[in-house]
Amino acid sequence: MLTKVIAFIAVAITGSLLLYGVADFPSFGDPNSPANAGVEGGAPSISQYFITESYKDTKVPNLVTSVLADYRGYDTMFETVVVFAGGMAIFAILRVLRSKEEPPKPQSRAETFVHGDHNRIIVGTTCKLVIPVIQLFALYVIAHGHHSPGGGFQGGVLIGASFILLALAADLKTALSRLNEPNYIRLACIGILIYAGFGVLCQILGGNFLDYGVLQPVLFTDGPEMARSHSMLGVEIGVALTVSTIMFAIYANLASRGTLNEGL
Amino acid sequence: MIFSFDIIILIFLVIAAVISLSVKDLLSASMIFGIYGFLICLLWAEMGAVDVAFTEAAVGAGVSAVLLIATVFNTKRRSSD
Amino acid sequence: MIFVILSAILIVTGLVFFVGSAVGLLRFPDFYSRMHAAGKGDTLSSLLVLLGLAVYQLKDFHGFSEDWPILLVIIKILAISVFILITSPTSTHALMDAGWEDGIKPTIQKGSANHLEEDTKDI
Repeated sequence: MLTKVIAFIAVAITGSLLLYGVADFPSFGDPNSPANAGVEGGAPSISQYFITESYKDTKVPNLVTSVLADYRGYDTMFETVVVFAGGMAIFAILRVLRSKEEPPKPQSRAETFVHGDHNRIIVGTTCKLVIPVIQLFALYVIAHGHHSPGGGFQGGVLIGASFILLALAADLKTALSRLNEPNYIRLACIGILIYAGFGVLCQILGGNFLDYGVLQPVLFTDGPEMARSHSMLGVEIGVALTVSTIMFAIYANLASRGTLNEGL
Repeated sequence: MIFSFDIIILIFLVIAAVISLSVKDLLSASMIFGIYGFLICLLWAEMGAVDVAFTEAAVGAGVSAVLLIATVFNTKRRSSD
Repeated sequence: MIFVILSAILIVTGLVFFVGSAVGLLRFPDFYSRMHAAGKGDTLSSLLVLLGLAVYQLKDFHGFSEDWPILLVIIKILAISVFILITSPTSTHALMDAGWEDGIKPTIQKGSANHLEEDTKDI
């Protein structure tokens, strides 16, 4: 009880300090705030630069994608590495590699059902209808991130969610037979290698790390702008591979206590 | 951005956060945390940050709720404090 | 104008069903009837509201050649409604089944016919 009171006091003090700080903010969407209009006599504002110049630089209409994958590509690469490290940490903590003989579980009620497992049939049919649509939409989100909201992280999470849905609707073994453990670890590593490979390729061709403009002779594009646009797509595919497989790996290890032989 | 709509969502957000912290049953807490994720996604979509809202809808409301429930099923279900 | 009125009718009907499902969720006696109210009301009202939004898009539609993006929006909204039509009853069914496996007994009014024992004898 005492710890709760102390925690409440700490939270209240921090919250009031944050609210006190918020009072000095410019109002939401204020065009004259320093972040939007720049400081008088100083450097021009970075938001204005992104709004006016990012399409000319990268030929990507969605500024969020161009900022995420090109201007801040280094940051996004290590975000992906953080996701990968999270998955590997859960693997290291939970995964039981020594196979012990476990007593057979008592059959759940759905398996002993006399009238056939109608629950499995209804949920399974719906999943058969829905999972391909989810995966198709995920591919659309990954590939269409240049023009509409979306990108590697969102599409990757959707693909991972489709495998989790399969594991929930049937069981973990069915999902693991589609994407087994060596393969998802391999795919997660390949995703990061794709991202870092784009960076190293730029260095080999004489540019900076992740400076996609120099990839123009490799990608056979019209100019450095289109090379940036296409390499962003490649980078997003790498992010999507890592995120989707890591999401499924986290679920599989959490749901089966690391034994990967039973699910929820 | 509609100011009154913002205020309504923020009030619901605070209510969801307080309930998910104070409820004893951890399964209910993770379900309410999913509601919190959807509300914050709605708030971001309404403020114009559609990319962030999409990520939150996929990660915060979809997958993280499933991961939390999977964890609750493998530990004990009651909170101790 | 006719499309605006039609969409308003559809959306208001959907909201009426939403209120019905919320009242049912609060007032019904046990788990199964509550899920019944929530599942049925939610599906129908979401479908009606989405259809209303799709009809509202038609108000700026003048010809196929210049207004085809509106048709794309309508197709996306209809795809969402088909998705809800498939998934919402399934999730209600899965919740009901989980409750039944968990051993939740339906509430039966005293004095009314009770077929629960003989219906579930062979399960």
